[in-house]
Amino acid sequence: MNGRNVINFDNSAGTYPKPAAVRQAVAGALQKVGGNPGRGGHALSMKAAQQIYEVRRRAAQFFGAEIENTAFAPNCTYALNMVIKGLMQYGGHIIISCYEHNSVSRPVYALTKNSGVKCSIAKIYDDTGQTIAEMEKLIRRDTLCICCTAASNVTGRILPYREIGELARRHGIAFVCDCAQAAGVIPVSIDDGISFICTSGQKGLYGPSGTGLLISSGEFALSTIIEGGTGATSGELVQTPYMPEKLESGTLNTAGLIGLGAGLDFIKSKGIENIRSHEAALCGYFQRELQKLDVHIYDADKERVPIVAFNINGMTSEETAAKLSEGGFALRGGMHCAALAHEALGTSGSGAVRFSPSVFSTRQQVSALIAYIRTIM
Amino acid sequence: MDTTKTIITMSSITYAMKAKDYLNGLGYWCEVERTRKNIGSGCGYSIIIKDDPDLIAPLLERRHIPYKGIYRL
Repeated sequence: MNGRNVINFDNSAGTYPKPAAVRQAVAGALQKVGGNPGRGGHALSMKAAQQIYEVRRRAAQFFGAEIENTAFAPNCTYALNMVIKGLMQYGGHIIISCYEHNSVSRPVYALTKNSGVKCSIAKIYDDTGQTIAEMEKLIRRDTLCICCTAASNVTGRILPYREIGELARRHGIAFVCDCAQAAGVIPVSIDDGISFICTSGQKGLYGPSGTGLLISSGEFALSTIIEGGTGATSGELVQTPYMPEKLESGTLNTAGLIGLGAGLDFIKSKGIENIRSHEAALCGYFQRELQKLDVHIYDADKERVPIVAFNINGMTSEETAAKLSEGGFALRGGMHCAALAHEALGTSGSGAVRFSPSVFSTRQQVSALIAYIRTIM
Repeated sequence: MDTTKTIITMSSITYAMKAKDYLNGLGYWCEVERTRKNIGSGCGYSIIIKDDPDLIAPLLERRHIPYKGIYRL
């Protein structure tokens, strides 16, 4: 396939197509916004800085945060690394869930190997009360934070992030929330008891790739893991202490971030609830049709963001994804960079196939996919 | 009419822009510029205001917008 006629049901990895307004914003930025924001007083730099500030203001508003606590990152993985390592680089204990993406589990694993950090992995139960009670038992005197995803990138299962935030707040520890799959389909906010929201810009926020957000409640200071030019206090060797520049060393992805701003406007105009209900309806339809076939669906009975993870019995996930690709459908098979989650699901060997629509997906496209799946079984 | 302006040096360009946003929203004239060489060292940004800095500074403090110094032109 040349990609021209492919139907994208791998929007959890990156929404495509992008809204016209996002494409136009990026093109316009490349054409008209040529300065380096925060790196001078000339007209080009100041114009770029104003545009970046406007995106920052909209992102802050979107997540209920203060403007200065809204930092840009190249992607969600970078944001998570900056927060986890910024909180834990001098040791301590961290709790993560059994549903984490490698962007959480790998930096934590590296810290346990290199920095003496201790880690506990919390199980997620069907009953939220049990999940919180068991998680609370894991909290120790040296626990510094709980880090978990708001929604699994494998099955879409929504974790009780508000209750976990409340638990963390009661114990005076930080709550780091990976919102890569939740942002744009669930109204996550700093007001949900989250100390740090880390998210991708190129998934549910409909921005370009190479954009991400690190949003802080302002309650916990982070050590930096990357230092360099920030455009502030340049005459000193010590990293600027002021947020957000403290966490934004190096030139920002100006065009991409202006595109992200357009993505945020797009979501606002559509409405998060409308986006989620459209995508959830497509997932419901897809799941009901799959259940008529010889297929296993994971976390089928759980509250989820719009994702359906499945395996066709007798086929590996990679085989299924390859056959679907031959038919012009982009779905992701394998491990989804989520070793822990697949272990929890019992799919470490086989992985799973992930279906994830976007606001642009249609029922006709899903019908075509279902018809094609019938032909490959 | 008093055309005296005051420069308030800011901690970062984000705080400078936030201050401008906030003060403009309250109806005060405010612009952001690169900190002038005779005032600051290294890179930095300032806001310029026309109103009494004794009125403006408390407004910034109330909004938790840090600033470094106040210089009358």
